[in-house]
Amino acid sequence: MVVTSQLRTGSVFKVGNDALVVQRILGQKTGRSGMVTRFRVKNIVSGQTSDVALDAGEKFESVDLDILQMKLSYVDGATYVFMEQETFEQYEISKEDLGDNAGYISAEDDYPIEITFYDGKPVGVTPPILVERTITYCEPGVKGDTSGKTFKPATLDTGIEVSVPLFCEIGTRIKLDTRDGTFVERAK
Amino acid sequence: MDIDILCKVVDNYGDIGLAYRLARSLSELPAPPRLRLVVDDLAAFALLDPAIDADAAVQLRRGWEVYRWQGDGSGEAAAAFRARRPRIVLECFACGRPDWLEDIIFDPRFQEGCLIVDLEHLTAEKYAEELHRMPSLTRSSSVRKTIFLPGFSPGTGGLVMDGSFSGSRRRASTETGRSELRREILADLGCSAEGAADRFWFCAFSYERDYSRIVAALAAFDSLSARGGGRPVLALAAAGGSGDCLAEAWAEAGEPFPLVALPFLPQERWDELLLACDFSIVRGEDSWARAALSGRPFLWQAYPQEGRQQMVKVAAFLDRLRPHFASAAFSALEELHLAFNDRGSDGPAEAGRESLLPVLSRYSELLPGFRAFSASLLENGDLASRLLTFLSEIV
Repeated sequence: MVVTSQLRTGSVFKVGNDALVVQRILGQKTGRSGMVTRFRVKNIVSGQTSDVALDAGEKFESVDLDILQMKLSYVDGATYVFMEQETFEQYEISKEDLGDNAGYISAEDDYPIEITFYDGKPVGVTPPILVERTITYCEPGVKGDTSGKTFKPATLDTGIEVSVPLFCEIGTRIKLDTRDGTFVERAK
Repeated sequence: MDIDILCKVVDNYGDIGLAYRLARSLSELPAPPRLRLVVDDLAAFALLDPAIDADAAVQLRRGWEVYRWQGDGSGEAAAAFRARRPRIVLECFACGRPDWLEDIIFDPRFQEGCLIVDLEHLTAEKYAEELHRMPSLTRSSSVRKTIFLPGFSPGTGGLVMDGSFSGSRRRASTETGRSELRREILADLGCSAEGAADRFWFCAFSYERDYSRIVAALAAFDSLSARGGGRPVLALAAAGGSGDCLAEAWAEAGEPFPLVALPFLPQERWDELLLACDFSIVRGEDSWARAALSGRPFLWQAYPQEGRQQMVKVAAFLDRLRPHFASAAFSALEELHLAFNDRGSDGPAEAGRESLLPVLSRYSELLPGFRAFSASLLENGDLASRLLTFLSEIV
């Protein structure tokens, strides 16, 4: 069994006979009774995408999945091509199916990524919890503000926008938490 | 339509208070659903409704079947739910399901399916509108689930307005009715303080805190009455931790006005008391909703959360209130809410920076705003009716 609080982008769980993959975490709210999280999920069997709200206590059947370590070889438009490092076999996953995880990975990364297979087909990826990305655009940094408590929007080399502290500048290499897309620290 | 209401008492009486009120409200509708209630703390339920037997595993009350949550598949509750399988299950505040009921709901032989509705906590935050009526999931495709949120805006499920509360509210809306209500309450309480019925009734039902600043403000308001600026005060301390805190601060201040320590009141009596008060401090969910609907000035204390996240909830509530008030008077109310709620935890020594006197001094300016806010909530409609309409649309 898997509970809602364990789900993240790329997780696969079962509803009846259908397997659903989490494509995006749309938001969370906390209250005294726990957290309600809004997810965008895709039915792997039917291909249908829907937005759902799950409370923290709901339990789901986990799915038997094959997981292989691969490297992102290249991106061709909206198709991400991954290569198995031993057999050199290639697998394609659409940007839509990667969901938020598309924003955390790049062909320039030298670390492997877990590719999830369901029924012989690649359905999602699980990037490392911490990844490094480069800021390609943000407003100029504020010298002296090293508190890290005030944030501004920044565009990364993968095209996604995240919130970064004011001291960050274009070209700054940062560490991100891929579970929720939050800034962790400046990469050393 | 059959509805099974599940309630787990996490702490205090807000959870069971809402479940009990909603059950009454649903039963009062023109085509009422048949209700079964499953409650894990019948002793708490019995305090709100003294006709409930806290020791009975199964009982009938107001036409409802009431079951004890605890038990297993061989118990009376499980037998009753196997005999009449649940079709609509209302989980109050995502309380989950008892194991014996879980087995019945997810029994693969049960082909007719079931709908679970997660009735979430009341919040003034915008997400209430985003999450309200959103589909959810369970592990079975034949057990559907959806989210339903109460709230202060038309885009939510609104607030529960049971007949008893609505009747008391109507009664308290006239000077004669309110005076009668006050005299009845005073007689019940055995209060013989001089001019008690005509005093400024202040009621406190909050989390534990140092009440010395509040008492000082009330004492100042009381003493101003001799010069025509304030009114003689009668303080009503709700049973529980905050009542002790208020009584202690009051004693330390030299008992500057009469104070009545309230016993634990059944729900309908508590509603009447809130409606009879001039100003209340309320906490939690059900009393917050009652105070909002009362049309009388009040201060809401939110449950403290990690990182003072309760301030987000308080700010959202103030945003809902603001349009109904003149800006000058609202500033005092806003500052009071922010100062009273800005704390990391609760306890008798937890002192705030709140200033109640500026709010009391502008009482007559604030009263129309609270009345207008209350009227807007009434326009939103009753949660029980909205819930039943929603269910009829999706079942």
